[in-house]
Amino acid sequence: MPDRNPNAWVRMPIAGFLAWIIPGLGHIYLGHRMRGLILLVTISVTFWTGVAIGGVRGTVDPKERSLWFIAQLCTAGNTVSSFYLHQSVAARPSMNDEASVVPHWASVDVGVHYTGVAGLLNLLIIFDAIARAESSCSTGRKNGRSFNGETR
Amino acid sequence: MILAELFVSGIGLTGLQRLLLMLPLCLSIALVYKTIRCERLGSVPLATLGLWVTIVLGMYSVGVGLWAAFAILV
Repeated sequence: MPDRNPNAWVRMPIAGFLAWIIPGLGHIYLGHRMRGLILLVTISVTFWTGVAIGGVRGTVDPKERSLWFIAQLCTAGNTVSSFYLHQSVAARPSMNDEASVVPHWASVDVGVHYTGVAGLLNLLIIFDAIARAESSCSTGRKNGRSFNGETR
Repeated sequence: MILAELFVSGIGLTGLQRLLLMLPLCLSIALVYKTIRCERLGSVPLATLGLWVTIVLGMYSVGVGLWAAFAILV
């Protein structure tokens, strides 16, 4: 069991939680600002490009695509806001006709892949933020080493 | 609200456009992976480019291989 600074037990869950809510925010919290900004822009652009391609009703759909929705939920802020948009679109009287708002299945397919991959990439980012919080606080280990000891 | 309308209806895609849309998705994967792995941010662009080319060539090779196998066997 490595010796850990007590700070690590606070910083690790905070970094992971922030990274889950907004991609890259965990890294920004840990002081890796530029890295966090790159991750924030990349994940958000990928996610919302997918929503724009497939349309929000076809892409973010927990009933029809529950497994993909779980993958999308790995980037919680983006998914919750797009699900809110989905709900508000579904509530419009003019949007009751499914065919008028859900595009061709091929577009929805591409959109679902974009958003799902964005969520799964954010899972990597969450783990990296937790590992960086852990390695920056642990004693007896050099900074800049990941949890498997590999130099980055 | 105008911005939200961009995400409501989606867009129509042809088969070629679906294939081409793999390129930015692979770029995103390569960029996130290398941003996490590279200690110096200066080395990220070149490393991303190398990984992106590898992924794209690998994926298209698999696609062409499967297409050829399908064409021969069926």
